[in-house]
Amino acid sequence: MADAEKEIFPCPMKRMKGNENSVRNVKTPPGEAGVWFASMGLALGLSMVVLLFGLIFVRGFGFFWPVPVMQIELQDDSEAAFRGATTFAGALAKTQQRTDRIVSESVEEFERDQDEESGALATIVDTYTEIQLFVGNRDFYGQSFRYFREDEIQSTTFPSDIVRAERRIEGDGIFYPQRIRQVDGSEITVDEDGFEETMARLVREARARRAEINRIDRREIGAINLEINDIHLELRYLQRHADEGEARERRIAALEERAERLRESFAILEQRADELRQLNRGNTLFFQRADGSEGQMAIGDLYRFHYPNRIGIFDRVVLFGIHFWDFVSGYPRDANMEGGIFPAIFGTLVMTLIMSIAVTPFGVIAAIYLREYARQGPLVRSVRIAVNNLAGVPSIVYGVFGLGFFVYFVGGSIDALFYPMSTEMNVPTFGTGGILWAGLTLALLNLPVVIVATEEAITAVPRGVREGSLACGASKWQTMQRLVIPASAPGILTGMILAMARGAGEVAPLMLVGVVALAPNLPVDTNFPFVHLERKFMHLGFHIYDVGFQSPDSEAAIPTVFATTLILIMLIVALNLTAILIRNHLRKRHKASAF
Amino acid sequence: MPEKSEQSKRKNIPERFQVARSTLVFDQLMNQLIKIGGIAIIAAVGSIFLFIFIQILPLFRGASVTYDRTFDLDDLEVDAVGIDPWSELPLFVSPDGTFNFFDVADIGTDYNRGVFTVRPDFPGDTEFPFVRYDQRRNTALFGTGDGRFSAVEVTFNQTHPPHRSREVVPVVTASPLLRLGRDDAPYEHIEYVDAGRNKLAVAIQRVEGRQVVYALTLSQRQTLLGPGPLTREREFSLTDLFEGEPAFVRITADTDFVIVGTTEGDVHLLARAADRFSLRQTVRPFAGTADEGIHSMDFMFGDLSLVFTNSEGRNVMYSVFHDEERGYRILGRTKEFERLPFGKGATFYSTSLRNKAFLIGAGDFATIRYATTKRTRWESTLDFEVRHAVLGPRYDKILFVDTQNRLHLFDLVDRHPATGLRAYFGRIHYEGRAGPEFMWQSTGGGDDFEPKISMVPLIIGTMKGTVYAMMFAVPIALLAALYTSQFLKPELRRIVKPVMEIMESVPTVVLGFLAALWFAPIISGSVPSVFLVCVALPVSVFAFGAIIASLPKRMRVLIKDGYEFLYFAPFMFLVGWVAWSLGPVFESIFFVVADPDSGVVVADFRLWWQLNSGMSFEQRNALVVGLFMGFAIIPTIFTIAEDSMSNVPDAFRSGSLALGASRWQTAVNVVLPTAAAGIFSALMIGFGRAVGETMIVLMATGNTPVMNFNMFEGMRTLAANIAVELPEAAQGGSLYRSLFLGAMLLFLMTFLVNTVAEILRQRLRDRFKAVE
Repeated sequence: MADAEKEIFPCPMKRMKGNENSVRNVKTPPGEAGVWFASMGLALGLSMVVLLFGLIFVRGFGFFWPVPVMQIELQDDSEAAFRGATTFAGALAKTQQRTDRIVSESVEEFERDQDEESGALATIVDTYTEIQLFVGNRDFYGQSFRYFREDEIQSTTFPSDIVRAERRIEGDGIFYPQRIRQVDGSEITVDEDGFEETMARLVREARARRAEINRIDRREIGAINLEINDIHLELRYLQRHADEGEARERRIAALEERAERLRESFAILEQRADELRQLNRGNTLFFQRADGSEGQMAIGDLYRFHYPNRIGIFDRVVLFGIHFWDFVSGYPRDANMEGGIFPAIFGTLVMTLIMSIAVTPFGVIAAIYLREYARQGPLVRSVRIAVNNLAGVPSIVYGVFGLGFFVYFVGGSIDALFYPMSTEMNVPTFGTGGILWAGLTLALLNLPVVIVATEEAITAVPRGVREGSLACGASKWQTMQRLVIPASAPGILTGMILAMARGAGEVAPLMLVGVVALAPNLPVDTNFPFVHLERKFMHLGFHIYDVGFQSPDSEAAIPTVFATTLILIMLIVALNLTAILIRNHLRKRHKASAF
Repeated sequence: MPEKSEQSKRKNIPERFQVARSTLVFDQLMNQLIKIGGIAIIAAVGSIFLFIFIQILPLFRGASVTYDRTFDLDDLEVDAVGIDPWSELPLFVSPDGTFNFFDVADIGTDYNRGVFTVRPDFPGDTEFPFVRYDQRRNTALFGTGDGRFSAVEVTFNQTHPPHRSREVVPVVTASPLLRLGRDDAPYEHIEYVDAGRNKLAVAIQRVEGRQVVYALTLSQRQTLLGPGPLTREREFSLTDLFEGEPAFVRITADTDFVIVGTTEGDVHLLARAADRFSLRQTVRPFAGTADEGIHSMDFMFGDLSLVFTNSEGRNVMYSVFHDEERGYRILGRTKEFERLPFGKGATFYSTSLRNKAFLIGAGDFATIRYATTKRTRWESTLDFEVRHAVLGPRYDKILFVDTQNRLHLFDLVDRHPATGLRAYFGRIHYEGRAGPEFMWQSTGGGDDFEPKISMVPLIIGTMKGTVYAMMFAVPIALLAALYTSQFLKPELRRIVKPVMEIMESVPTVVLGFLAALWFAPIISGSVPSVFLVCVALPVSVFAFGAIIASLPKRMRVLIKDGYEFLYFAPFMFLVGWVAWSLGPVFESIFFVVADPDSGVVVADFRLWWQLNSGMSFEQRNALVVGLFMGFAIIPTIFTIAEDSMSNVPDAFRSGSLALGASRWQTAVNVVLPTAAAGIFSALMIGFGRAVGETMIVLMATGNTPVMNFNMFEGMRTLAANIAVELPEAAQGGSLYRSLFLGAMLLFLMTFLVNTVAEILRQRLRDRFKAVE
């Protein structure tokens, strides 16, 4: 006991006595430095959160913001020169300090320097500033970003007539337009009046045609392709089954006729798309890059263009909005590096929806059982602990289970029962990864979360409510249905939405059960039966992984990945906020109505 | 009680209090529904473990061999036995140069072809005293009594005639009879390997009571009409290169080595370089045993390992591998198997052409062993004496010919021969490696690749990532939790806690991307800066705290208690920035090395580390993973630790403060010990999360399985391994199930850790309850 006292009160009372009448000069209580030390933990933790979100928001939104384009002139002997040219134009991507690591050219020289003790320090820490420009024109430079040493730059200008163009292939282009040769052979040069208007008009027209081409490709040809694929599968299947008589022959004939008709309409559509494409190739833009080299492109390959050094703040904001909208509503192109991420957003949402539809009833029933119906005792207690701990089991384990159980076992059985064709031709329908299996796997992953949240919510309903209800003659289920479940609804809903937020951000298990880098068709579309649960799908999280790690030029992919990250984070934050809002709303309502 | 006399009770209740029957029925229905549903759901969730467990069970099963049928071969001459790739057409080679094929599929139907004979176009009635069939190369070797030999290649084509799923049609192509060795002596053994450009034949002959070895290189000209005939190139006598009486001879698949076993028990490795043979090495497999002589010597699939037995039944394996010290390939002992029973040397041997299994035995005893794991897959005493034995090329049939000229067929089912406890957790000497080791390399080029599926490097990798993450996360999270729960103003705490918890909702794929593409390039060139910051921050905060504590009271009161971190934050950024900028200076003082390639002296920590530690430096390494995985687990640890600290009953704290202890003394001596169990459980749960984290590791390391704790090298964790390999693994295969085993290890690890943590937390909660 005496020891313990000493431990708790090492503060010497004597000193306090000595100073007791000089209140002004109270000694610092012991351990203040420790408090400061602990404050470091919080300061670090908080600043990490702030920096992380700040980084994502700045880099993510920066992706959409139209920045000015600078034209730089390098020294003639610069190593950064490209094919002899020393002039580059591009948007500033980042500035960084670099250290010149070379200390001496040889060991002897280094030892000599050391002997003289001239302090190698002064010569060693040679830092220089390096800028990274987005120079675009990947077809010309080979990559989109180039580094330049700041001390090699002789002059920097912001030419007002330079154009940044969003192109169908090879990323953005940065150039000076020279002239346009229209399909009728007439030419308009940049010096003439109305050049910009003509160019804008032509780009607009091309865009309208491209939208039509895309509609034909995606909707109509897509639907035909799907049907032709099905017919081919059935034909191959029928041809394998040699002796099944006349009915088979008739079926084959019918299928072949149908395929023939589909191929005809396919050809018609294809022809229309080709005509449009031909039109889009008609107008040619001739331009000059910053280094003086000439180039040309079809206006049909030009998505948008703007004069980055000419436009005002209002136009910038509008462009920002357009870029943002293009990104969230567009389809990816160029190995996912360019274009939009609409299929990924859509896939994420549909998958999350399937997950929440599956997880909520099961989670709630299990929780009600555990809390209200099961006899409380050591068994239920240990079941509760086990369920709780399942929430901590790594997500990849659920992915493994999902692959083995849902995809191969359940999916394989469904195929064997209802899709004999796909089983025999080894073209699995449900026996391969798909959005349904992904949703169910994540539902299982989140089931413990929902059970725990629901249980907590039910526990929070006061005992008196139940007893009052029962005393009034209500049955157990009536009490549950009319009082306990509504009262705990905010908690249940919160658990569900938190589960959705977790599900939207989870990637590892999805990689095993059906997510793909590029899905040709959306899981919900206008083709019968409209909801295609067996389809593979795209996902925002996997998109980040794929673009960042599987793309040929990961440096160029980073801005896109930041933008995708921003969207994903916004989605998750939105889900979390919704959870909070709904909870508050429901809580208020129940407070007002019931008690 | 109410169930007891429902009816009578109803009667006693006045009508206005009676419950509608439908309500009662519905109530009962829902009761049952929820009970059944609840139990079913909980059972379903629990069966995850069961399902995974069932998936891995087959990995630990042995082979099953079932008797199929027996055929009497009557007076068919059987000197050598082989079988086609589908195990439907056994073949018997006889000394008159003919092949007898025996159709054993669709027995009893009209389509069965029975026994049919094919004879290559050997001149006249050439007799072949020596006949051998090389199952591995589908080649029969015929040796005449006068020193000539022919290699006859058998090609099996499968056709699909109506009414039969498959019919195997053999085609035999004989090389011309070529001279090898002396023309006055019969062959004891012939070996022939065609390795494309290099073709080599070796034979043992018995000359005047002494065995001699001849080697012959051959060539084959490619013409427009296909390959021309085999022609002799150059002959060598190998007998003088070594001592002893040669009894066995084998050629490696690349024809670089001829391996000769002598009756005395020595094995000589003869290396072939251009047109010269030289003795490279001599080993004695059974040195030190009662009988040092070699009884049998055969190649295992892949032709890198030799399986020996001696007359006592000892069974060992030697493999060819590259020796670091000597700089060339040598033979070394890699395995010792169980002894064959009855003290007999092997009289028959056959290797699988699918994996590293081999069938070996003597007399009526036969066993299948798996070389990698040394496991006996199957063994049995048969009711006949075996003369020839062949393992089906697809490892699905066994074929025996016994001493009474009967053919016995057995079905073999062994789906996962390469697995087992030793394969997963043991140190194994793999083929081509210099010593026993733990390795994960599940797939490789070629059929004869030996899968290496040790879980140990993955477990080490998992631990490595976890340890680095904890090293970073634990101090920050616990300090932050201590500060938030004990010192922070309660109003601020309501803001701070959700902010820290938001971090938990950041998807790990985002953290992985930032770690790999944003952070790794930044720190790979600034490692000294990172270290400086790590040292400077704690030191500076102590200094800062000490200075403030020593200020006079009237200045100290300007800093309000509970807001310290706000004052410290700007100072922290300043210190961090200064330390970061000093990194290059630090580097140029301590980490200056001469680049061995160019001779230039550079100040580069990366090079310095490689040269001084002998370990590698990768841009995506454990340090990066540690920092970002730490990021992911900080909120977890913070939340739980903070909860358990702020749940310490106020009475404890008030008492301590009232007795004159400072707030720091109260926190460290009263709160921390009381909440220790909760803090420990926070650490455990953080640990569990780090163990199973997949995306960060997958993205921020090179995913190379390693066995070290080098901070500047990556690793492969169990979770990342599953993500990398499972999408490519064939359903139900050994790799697939091995990955399930990895998943089960992860499951068990995290589940156990979490359970311990949960129990601790509950106990703590009960204790607090008792106090209040």
